[in-house]
Amino acid sequence: MNTLTTINELGFAPALQQDVLEDTTSDHALLEATRTGDQDAFAELVSRYRNQITSYIYRMTNDYDGAVDLAQETFVRVYRAADRYQRTYAFSTYIYRIATNLAISELRKRKRRKLVSLTGFFQQNDGAEAQELNPPDARPLQDSELVDTERRNAVQRAISTLPEKYRAPLILRDVDGRSYDEIARILETSEGTVKSRISRARGFLREKMRAYL
Amino acid sequence: MSKNNCEVIRQELDELMLYERSSAAVAEHLRECAACREFNEKQTRLRQIVGSLGTVSAPPDFDFRLRARLANDANGAAFHFWPLARRGLAFAAVLLVFVVGAILVRNVFNRPAQNSEVADQHNTPAPPRPVPTVESPQQPNPAPPLLASSPERRPQPVRNERPARIKRPLVAEDFSSQRAEVITAREPAVEFEVLPLDSSLQSFKVSLDDGRGNARTISVPTISFGSQRMLQTGNQYASKRDW
Repeated sequence: MNTLTTINELGFAPALQQDVLEDTTSDHALLEATRTGDQDAFAELVSRYRNQITSYIYRMTNDYDGAVDLAQETFVRVYRAADRYQRTYAFSTYIYRIATNLAISELRKRKRRKLVSLTGFFQQNDGAEAQELNPPDARPLQDSELVDTERRNAVQRAISTLPEKYRAPLILRDVDGRSYDEIARILETSEGTVKSRISRARGFLREKMRAYL
Repeated sequence: MSKNNCEVIRQELDELMLYERSSAAVAEHLRECAACREFNEKQTRLRQIVGSLGTVSAPPDFDFRLRARLANDANGAAFHFWPLARRGLAFAAVLLVFVVGAILVRNVFNRPAQNSEVADQHNTPAPPRPVPTVESPQQPNPAPPLLASSPERRPQPVRNERPARIKRPLVAEDFSSQRAEVITAREPAVEFEVLPLDSSLQSFKVSLDDGRGNARTISVPTISFGSQRMLQTGNQYASKRDW
């Protein structure tokens, strides 16, 4: 007598197969597969996160080419450290933490490189970076698309003037829409600190964007 | 409306997600407080603008460039040791500089230390040694050398520059605390050399080794007994050949 029964015979095959399918397509599973040398699994991970990471770093650095380079560096580090990856947090938290660290390093490098700045006269005492030497145009614009574009540019410039410790949580919250808990894990700080920094960052932005509000 | 209440309400508004419904208490407060209502409107407007930034797409060749980068990394994996090697080389260079510096400093500080050591040895009274007598003529007691030196070492010319580092131990003896040899009457007359009078015409020379391999010669001028002077002052009328 054959005692072996197939999954289909047990009657819950579709649900189990669905679970298995979801498990194999989760971020953790893809990284596990990458660890074993599955290039397709890594390509899937890249396709899931490349836009998010590029966009996040771009908002942090306000430099598209640099953001693409740093996003690639983020994936290179994920690939190299696949063997050491631990499932303590979500993969998105892990990759955003790498991207944040790279972006902050880049901002600090730029700060060191900036020996003489034309906008240095407009620096504030609160540690914020230089304000843009491009005040908002007060003339009325007819085209609403132009207005939106101008407003987006202005807010991007305003964000790029925020201190880095306020910039990252504000982008993660208001641009990416992440929860306080996840932001706290990405930035390796407490939830209270994250809330406080976001509140202060919005205060800075309100002042800078007064003409648009 | 109390200020504290407004702060609590604003904090709660701040923590809400965009378009998330506020609690009934907050909604009630916003209906009554114009300042908080204005704050909420501006805050919502700001968050809408910030949220409108949206996502920037990665370039189409992102995957291709990433693959190329990973392939380069894989090919260059053998050279990944270079950052470590560079650190090691830097550390070795720093260590080398430190060692060379330490040797130079040690050399500089060792010279005065050796001189002071010699000076100390001169100042320290030597223990009394048994006084040798000259009773046994078969065993002449040669005077010990002032500075011990190897006899086979060639004397070097005295130079104005600093002497080379001494490789042998410098030994000095202090004779000031030692008693001089006692010459007793029992000594045979043979021990004393009778020098002829004309021997004073020769200069008396003593050659010493200064312990650094340099020979120092001290020349004592010819001894004069002053006979000429006595003749001139004592008896001017006597003939010069008479005493």
